[in-house]
Amino acid sequence: MPDLRFHWSMSSAGVEFKAARARSQHSAVPDMDAHLDFCRHADNNQIDSLLTAVGFHRPDPIAMAAALGVQTSHTRFLVAVRSGIMSPLLFTQQVNTVAALTKGRISLNVVAGHTPAEQRSYGDFLTHDDRYRRTDEFMTICKALWAGEVVTFEGEFYHLEKAAINLPFIAEDRSCPEIYFGGSSDQAYALAAKHADCLLTLPEPPEEMAPRIRPLLEADTEVGLLVSILARPTRDQAVNDAYAVLEKVGNRAKKTHRDFSKHSDSVAFTGQIRKAEEHSNHWLTPTLWNGAVPFMGAPAIALVGSYTEVAETIMSYKQAGVTQFLFMGWPDLAEMNRFGSHVLPLVREMEPNG
Amino acid sequence: MTASFHWRLAEGGENLQRAMRGLRDDPAKALPDLAAQIHFCREAERVGIDALLVDINYAKPAPMVLALALAPHTRRLRFMVAHRPGLMSPTLFVQQVNSFSALAEGRICLNMVVGHSPDEQAYYGDFLEHDPRYARMEEFLEICRGLWETAEPVDYSGRYLQVEGARLNTPFTSPKGRKPQIFLGGNSKQAQQAATAYADCWLRFGEHPQRLASAIAPVLKSGTAVGLRLAVIARPTRAEALDAAARLVDLSRVGDKSEHEHLFVNGSDSVSVQQVYKMAADEWLTPNLWTGAVRTYGPPNVALLGTPDEIAQQIIDFESIGISHFILSGWPKLAEMVYFGEEVLPRVRRLEKKLDPAFPREISHA
Repeated sequence: MPDLRFHWSMSSAGVEFKAARARSQHSAVPDMDAHLDFCRHADNNQIDSLLTAVGFHRPDPIAMAAALGVQTSHTRFLVAVRSGIMSPLLFTQQVNTVAALTKGRISLNVVAGHTPAEQRSYGDFLTHDDRYRRTDEFMTICKALWAGEVVTFEGEFYHLEKAAINLPFIAEDRSCPEIYFGGSSDQAYALAAKHADCLLTLPEPPEEMAPRIRPLLEADTEVGLLVSILARPTRDQAVNDAYAVLEKVGNRAKKTHRDFSKHSDSVAFTGQIRKAEEHSNHWLTPTLWNGAVPFMGAPAIALVGSYTEVAETIMSYKQAGVTQFLFMGWPDLAEMNRFGSHVLPLVREMEPNG
Repeated sequence: MTASFHWRLAEGGENLQRAMRGLRDDPAKALPDLAAQIHFCREAERVGIDALLVDINYAKPAPMVLALALAPHTRRLRFMVAHRPGLMSPTLFVQQVNSFSALAEGRICLNMVVGHSPDEQAYYGDFLEHDPRYARMEEFLEICRGLWETAEPVDYSGRYLQVEGARLNTPFTSPKGRKPQIFLGGNSKQAQQAATAYADCWLRFGEHPQRLASAIAPVLKSGTAVGLRLAVIARPTRAEALDAAARLVDLSRVGDKSEHEHLFVNGSDSVSVQQVYKMAADEWLTPNLWTGAVRTYGPPNVALLGTPDEIAQQIIDFESIGISHFILSGWPKLAEMVYFGEEVLPRVRRLEKKLDPAFPREISHA
């Protein structure tokens, strides 16, 4: 089994509790210095790659990866992408250009979009299930282009004739970027098994996840967790800090995410938020806490505990078959530094026996 | 009252000191050559070039990404990023442009083109014909304009493009204004109409100034600037310039470049490509405007040819009919640009001072 790999979200570099505010109120003017500083810390903490997310409330993730990639030398970028808003050929051309400029330090997080109104603002009027079928076509075309084929494709959503590009995907060890898929719906699982190297999904207790992800693992697709993390020297400190986060972001944040849910057709995101709103016990396991989900959205489901507890929890997910983690923290930079200094060494120690 | 001079970015894989010989499909050109291209950018900035054109086709790196990688290595230089509507959601396009502006001090302007080869458009999944491609260009730019100019979410339902409630949190930021300068190319009626309605500058290939004057008059009158895409062969003496031109034509006979270019023209539905190719039957449009490179190197290569004094005067002749932007290229790429910047440009600036200042040729950055 490969060593566990850890990624971090870069979405809120330089901003605290960004997720507690409505997306329309996010500033999307990137602070280059804060982002470069974040990249340096990620390198120091042995973070595998940094997520540049996608949405109307953010700068364009490919532009971010290109701009940061040429000013760093190790950091890898996990670039979020939605199908249906760019020609597959131009998309592949942009990705390959970033790769050529950064020695292949780009991988992709393919997502279907979660909010119909936002999709429409990009000119995409498809429903949830159609978006997945289109993503299937999109990835089929992109992967054929990466394989160096001249692609003629006539599908339900895409039609290309003799498509080819001259710039290949250039990296030390790959001829196509690593593909991550996001989602929790049946369609997401099926599509990940078909196209992805790794499905990024929200956590459930490890023993519940194991049977659900087994078909993916059998299809040679890894499974990763999209999860927040809050680790402290002791469990008491961790729990206190977790509750303190809720006080800081306040109840207004709750309404923000109820509003989000009302307009979203994402199975993963709305399901999480509903679950967290309906149950009064927010501890799904002693270290898996969804108390912040109503305030900061589905990815705020968190691993909470002492350094040792969090490391052990990570190992219990490893036993369930999970091999990658995409973390978020409150705030990201401080949490990433704690993880790198205190949790990761424990994990690396436990790994040979786990 | 001065014209702006832009240059075409040298591609990777081209020996920057030598004449271009390779085919358009040369795989080496697909690779960025960052070290050489950064040097090219810095030299462009040093010699007074305003923007470098980063063009688009399937055989090259993606221009938006390449330009973004080059921008941090310069301070004033702008990048004229080429784009073809139909390949990307207009909202996503504006998001990329605006992100670029935030990451590189607003140093981006746009070269909007509709594409010239139906075959190549099909690679990208675009099957529209020439005229509808221009109609879609107008829809595309209407949505872009909404995103740049209005605070309200943009609703648009056109024949080719629809968006609903489009808004972005990343604004276009530049010391020069709230939206990028738009250059729109093409000789057809549709191109002229789109440029008049949506562009800051209409781009054309080189022609005799007198013939050009009547063609551009209505566009200038509407307040849209006009620019020319030209090649440059400047040498200390006219004999040397003619010699360089002769060698260029000789080089083109090596390999199947000429044959290839012929296929390119036949495969194109661009009005301007066809027009310029026909015009090139007449080798000298003026004593300093040479079409000899067009048939082998393509329509952008109507060339300013001669001594620095001659070329400066030819440029002034264009300026005096209202041309205010020049997008240039040359062989060898780097040396020609540096020679132009050091020898021709100062002469142009001196002559510009004597031009009739009443003529409107400032272009707005709105």
